[in-house]
Amino acid sequence: MSRLFPRALAVIAVTAASVWFIPGLDDGVELAFQLVVLLASR
Amino acid sequence: MTLAKRVGVLFFWVLLVLVTAVVTAAIKQRSADGPNRVFSGGALVSGELYQGPEPDWSFVNSIPTIEMQLLDPEQSRRVWTASANGKIYVWSGYMNSTVGKLWKSWPAQAVQDGRAVFRVNGVRYERQLVRLTSGAGLESLMAMVNEKYASRATPAAIDSGDVWMFEARPRARSAEQTPAGDPS
Repeated sequence: MSRLFPRALAVIAVTAASVWFIPGLDDGVELAFQLVVLLASR
Repeated sequence: MTLAKRVGVLFFWVLLVLVTAVVTAAIKQRSADGPNRVFSGGALVSGELYQGPEPDWSFVNSIPTIEMQLLDPEQSRRVWTASANGKIYVWSGYMNSTVGKLWKSWPAQAVQDGRAVFRVNGVRYERQLVRLTSGAGLESLMAMVNEKYASRATPAAIDSGDVWMFEARPRARSAEQTPAGDPS
């Protein structure tokens, strides 16, 4: 449990860096988010 | 560790990754040249700036969405649009709902400062957004909106404030000095 916070920070950092720097990943994330919103609004 | 606890831990990590990814993508888009799908973008930079006579905007009735940027704040988003009698309009619905009040900030910002830039088919147009608070005389526009987007918007929705309708007029020096909401 004591290692939860640094682990969570590491996951956040790796995920954010991946979305920011890997070409097209941000677009894919946005598309998935759009689909979720569309489905939720039905 | 029980199965329920394992599932809970897994759910936490998956949720953390998903939320981080969505927030990062949204933040990244804020510095981009325009919006993407649903996330707001930064200032509209690319594209020729239109200079010429006022166009007949009826061509936007065949375009699903356009990019719209306010000058203050410099954020852009993708919006629905329609044209009637050669004029161009944009609007925001659900403004009387709690979600609308919380989520939709650009209509209030446009009332404060209506200077805007549209980008349509790669061409940028400087416009002045003027809110129309009465639906009277907008029957043909609302018919076009309903035909284009299969919605059920009515002039009464504009009267009630549930739909904030803006006419995007040409932006000239005199228009910039005209207070927002003043149709003169």
